[in-house]
Amino acid sequence: MGKKVLMKGNEAIGEAAIRAGCLNYFAYPITPQSEVAEYLSHRMPEVGGVFLQAESEVAVAYMIYGAAGAGARVFTTSSSPGISLMSEGLSYIAGAQLPAVFVNIVRGGPGLGGILPSQGDYFQATKGGGHGDYHLLVMAPESVQEAADMMMRAFPLAEKYRNPVIILGDGLIGQMMEPVEFHDHLRTDPVNNNHWATNGMQFRNSSKPNIVKSLFLDPDELNENNLILKAKYERMKKEDILFEPYNMDGPYQKLIVSYGTMSRVCKTAIDNLKVKGIEVGMIRPQTLFPFPETAVFEAAAKESCKAVISIELSMGQMVEDVQRCVQGLRPVHWYGECGGNVPTPEKVMDVVTSL
Amino acid sequence: MSLELKIEGIVIIVGNYGSGKTEVAINLAANRKLAGVDVRMADLDLINPYFRTREARESLARIGVEVVIPPEKYFHADLPILSPTVAGMIKNPSRLTILDAGGNDAGVAVLAALADSLGKQSLKMLQVINPFRPFTETVEGCLKIKEEIEKAAKIQMTGLIGNANLLNDTTLEHIEEGYEFVSKLARQSGLDLEFITVPADLFTCLDLKKFSCPVLSIKRQLVPPWKQPAKLV
Repeated sequence: MGKKVLMKGNEAIGEAAIRAGCLNYFAYPITPQSEVAEYLSHRMPEVGGVFLQAESEVAVAYMIYGAAGAGARVFTTSSSPGISLMSEGLSYIAGAQLPAVFVNIVRGGPGLGGILPSQGDYFQATKGGGHGDYHLLVMAPESVQEAADMMMRAFPLAEKYRNPVIILGDGLIGQMMEPVEFHDHLRTDPVNNNHWATNGMQFRNSSKPNIVKSLFLDPDELNENNLILKAKYERMKKEDILFEPYNMDGPYQKLIVSYGTMSRVCKTAIDNLKVKGIEVGMIRPQTLFPFPETAVFEAAAKESCKAVISIELSMGQMVEDVQRCVQGLRPVHWYGECGGNVPTPEKVMDVVTSL
Repeated sequence: MSLELKIEGIVIIVGNYGSGKTEVAINLAANRKLAGVDVRMADLDLINPYFRTREARESLARIGVEVVIPPEKYFHADLPILSPTVAGMIKNPSRLTILDAGGNDAGVAVLAALADSLGKQSLKMLQVINPFRPFTETVEGCLKIKEEIEKAAKIQMTGLIGNANLLNDTTLEHIEEGYEFVSKLARQSGLDLEFITVPADLFTCLDLKKFSCPVLSIKRQLVPPWKQPAKLV
């Protein structure tokens, strides 16, 4: 580990990408994500990388498509409305099986919404957003350190699956400052992509060129491409689910499922309730797709557990996945706010104890 | 006993992004007010969307520090809004008038809009330095930001504030390392080291004889929603 520094989440995300060996960044500024671009406008020239500000987020998505298609490590960052604009491109990138990393520092919506923190893009990130049968691998950090760590993992994961990975952080993840250390050894060379990338005929073993495309007019070919994608998503569910159990050893009667900075509030609430003799457990999904289905089911199935609640900065999105996992075994509740006011630990304590 | 903070007049707090300007400004205002000095403060941060002086306005109001902020309905607007009251408070300053500017050169561009009022006053412009932040971990980095800020603000820097910290992970070693750094910067730039800061929980462990400048204790006000701001009194 290197020296500890004090960073905004947005800065740490930019630095982590460089440390992970990604020197291509295309983006368009939007609050509350703009500091990534600001930071990288200084840092990319220092390390011989490229930061190109596009004329719009639509253009960014296709710059990513082009760079990833040519075999380069590439990433972008934006916030909710910007990700909506990129969503067509995301679908193309997933369809063409290209590795790339996207970061969404989520603000309140729908529409222009507001600039304060939100988790209202859960459906967009986990269920598609663009058209067609595809998934992103979705990671959700709860701290600046975890945002940096996830960024560094995101590139190898994107390359493992040849699929876009998105880091879903609410506005606070981008804006808050925390001490952070960067791992020294996560920088990996991009995987060998000579069998698919359009990186030049000198890398081909035959005279047949590689073609990067998402257009398959033959119905059998298109079905085959979708089966390949489906197999990847099933593999993600087997190999790359991440979650954190919190206060799960005691005889908890209530189980919280919460992610991102909302889970930090829930942890404070759980600690405060523990002092009062009330045990509450929590599962914090670190990957939202693939979702920790078995962990949530088993946690809910524990004999002492009487009720489950999804606490999120949205009007009830993750709760649908929690209900799906709990399979009717326990009542599943929801609590959340989405104007930008993050609920206090006291509010969470009230909600949980009144279940 | 630490050397006494004696700052008065119009004080503009500047520095790079995230150097801790707002936390320093709030705590300086509270410290002086509690010492009996009449203090007013203006939030000129037009570029930072979260964690601004306006978040601490109620705690400051309780101890009698008036904070001039944009109208409440624009609190969360992604727009640069400068209250006309600010020009008035510069023309008729309190014994201590603190202007909390935004980060980097972009954050002080607002001072040009106040040039007419500021030009007639004697003032201090103090650069907040946290060597544990990117771009200010070297003397050269700090001097580059100093020059960029001076150019954009059209005002010369007059002094430095050492604000070495890693928030909750700050140790006494960080404070001492930061003090040495900012002292070196003061020597090389010819600027006065006005004071350094230390988190309130470390203040009592501090050997004040080691520092030849005043030390301001920081009671953290700008905290995430899962933490409580420290009480100013």
